[in-house]
Amino acid sequence: MTTSSGNLAQKAVTETAIKIDKLNKWYGDHHVLKDVSLDISEGEIMVVCGPSGSGKSTLIRSLNHLEEYQEGVVSVFGQPLSRDRQSHKIIHQTMGMVFQNFNLFPHLTVLQNCTLGLTWLRKMSERDADKMAMRLLDRVGIAHLATRYPGQLSGGQQQRVAISRSLAMEPKIMLFDEPTSALDPEMVKEVLDVMIDLAKTGMTMVCVTHEMQFARQVADRVVFMADGEIIEVGPPEQVLVNPQWDRTREFLQHVL
Amino acid sequence: MDDLNVKNQPALKQFVPTPPRPPRKSEKGIFGTIRHRCFNSIGNSLLTLCVATVLFYLVKHVLDWAVFNAVFIADNRRQCMDISPDGACWAGVISWFNGLIYGRFPVDEQWRVNIGVLLGLVWLLPLMSKRIALRNFILLSWIGLYPFVGAYLFLGGRFGEELGLVHGAMTCLALAFLTIIYANWILSSLGKKGLNELFVPLVSRLVERRIHLLSFVAVWLLVALVIASGLSQVSLEPVPIERWGGLFLTFIIAGFAITMAIPVGVILALGRRSKLPVIHWLSMTVIELVRSVPLITVLFMAVTLLPIFLPADMEFNKLTQVLVAVCLFAGAYMAENIRGGLQAIPKGQYEAAATLGLGYLHTMVLIILPQALRMMIPNIMTSFISLLKDTTLVSIIGLFDIMLMARNIANDKDWVGMHTEPLVMISVLFFILCYSMSQYSLNLEKRLKVDR
Repeated sequence: MTTSSGNLAQKAVTETAIKIDKLNKWYGDHHVLKDVSLDISEGEIMVVCGPSGSGKSTLIRSLNHLEEYQEGVVSVFGQPLSRDRQSHKIIHQTMGMVFQNFNLFPHLTVLQNCTLGLTWLRKMSERDADKMAMRLLDRVGIAHLATRYPGQLSGGQQQRVAISRSLAMEPKIMLFDEPTSALDPEMVKEVLDVMIDLAKTGMTMVCVTHEMQFARQVADRVVFMADGEIIEVGPPEQVLVNPQWDRTREFLQHVL
Repeated sequence: MDDLNVKNQPALKQFVPTPPRPPRKSEKGIFGTIRHRCFNSIGNSLLTLCVATVLFYLVKHVLDWAVFNAVFIADNRRQCMDISPDGACWAGVISWFNGLIYGRFPVDEQWRVNIGVLLGLVWLLPLMSKRIALRNFILLSWIGLYPFVGAYLFLGGRFGEELGLVHGAMTCLALAFLTIIYANWILSSLGKKGLNELFVPLVSRLVERRIHLLSFVAVWLLVALVIASGLSQVSLEPVPIERWGGLFLTFIIAGFAITMAIPVGVILALGRRSKLPVIHWLSMTVIELVRSVPLITVLFMAVTLLPIFLPADMEFNKLTQVLVAVCLFAGAYMAENIRGGLQAIPKGQYEAAATLGLGYLHTMVLIILPQALRMMIPNIMTSFISLLKDTTLVSIIGLFDIMLMARNIANDKDWVGMHTEPLVMISVLFFILCYSMSQYSLNLEKRLKVDR
């Protein structure tokens, strides 16, 4: 709890990292995001939770344009995003993403997965890229597996590679889309530990997750979503322990 | 979590895994297995005996005809018949062997074909070494540069005259590249830097950026100049394209079709999946049009129709037209293979690439195509094998490939009416080629398995 309150204190002076303004999205006639508005400050750890089908994955995937939305504006560090080249550049320079199914590149080794963006997009020399990737792999505790292929690793190890791969591009904001949902219970912890470490470095994080323990431990604020709407936003002590809405309480009774 | 560690419970038992035990071995041996599998009941024993008898007679007759009663040395078919009337007459095939392999290429110049084909293989040899400078460009240079060397060797003529200066320059560049690759191979085994880095100290004094590229270009041009000065002294006997033939020509056509099938197929497949309507419909038209027409028709169209569409002063020889046709045909089939592979790639791969910031070209070349192509190795290899066999169709439009040469044997006055032996010989040859291709594909599949 000390870390989260520490972050909160810092945040008073920091700027808004992501500003979501009245986001609306439809799949055909199905209204999946309804006037969603949310401000995420720099360095803030935001956990998004809610029942399946509540639009939380759609929301986080809208932030980096993996999903298109019909109405509303997302701004990153004050820059409103559109569908042009400039916005794509901003997204790729500021945001990294970790997926539920890892989505590692199976034909490349762990190390190559991490250096791919560095050598091809940053035009970094192979040696520098390797050095940087090895440092990141070491940080998540799998440097010894650098020459393996993703198919040879366990789920937890794969997810940690995925985190290093995103970090290699030095993002300011990390998006986590249910990073532990596809993992065996024994492997959830190793991934959460990496995320907790990351949170301590002051990274801005948006996590869609069902791990309430994690939310309570590191989140600055928790967002509860249902039916495409944000129902409650607030510090974890408030939303998770003392929710104001019946829908939230009902959900928490199922999860906890 | 805390509820689990209740204090009043007795101490937990410690779990020790059972030590592993090797599996039981089969003690039967070969005879035991045969008895167990083939003679385990009266019915099965009878069946085994029947099959064995049939097999024995089959093999015996084939061997009698092909080996024991066969004639290997004779001057003509009549002599063959006199020596052994019911055996194969291999003497005819042997006397025509040279024709089957080289077609009507002048005998004195056939060393050029040997060297050319050998050079093509030698070009790819450095791929065996994993750590070699410029390794990524070996395959590319083989596709882009080797054909110039091959054409120079096979066509001949004075350097830079019959084939033009551009062709001559490309030949020199190609040979220079090969030299650099081999020098790099030797240097890398000695633990030194590649030859292309030779001018790095010099270049770095003149410019600041692209030092390695400029150094490579400088070395390349220098070596090419040395080779050019050597080659300009050489004059090869010109051999017109009409005299190419036999297995050699089959190799050229099939080799070209196989190497071009992948690039053409990739472009068509990506075009078909494109969201831009013009590109989408254009690719689809080409694929569907070429795929729904027999290869013979495509070949005939290339030879008869292509000259009509092209301007009058542009005149291609028959081989070029055939190469274009075969390349289109192979590409259209390959496109559908590759499209199948592309469809099998999960959406998450595109998303992961997108979040890293990779654009369309990077995503395709680095992420999607390597996986799609590997997944499709069995299908791609099947296409290659059928391509190799299909190219024998070019004999119909009058190219003297191995099939036409084989049929020519029967028209030779010494070997009139000899059809069976050349065809058997070609079958064996093609079986060896195709079987080794399929074995190679299995090996490739194992080595490049996507999900190791």
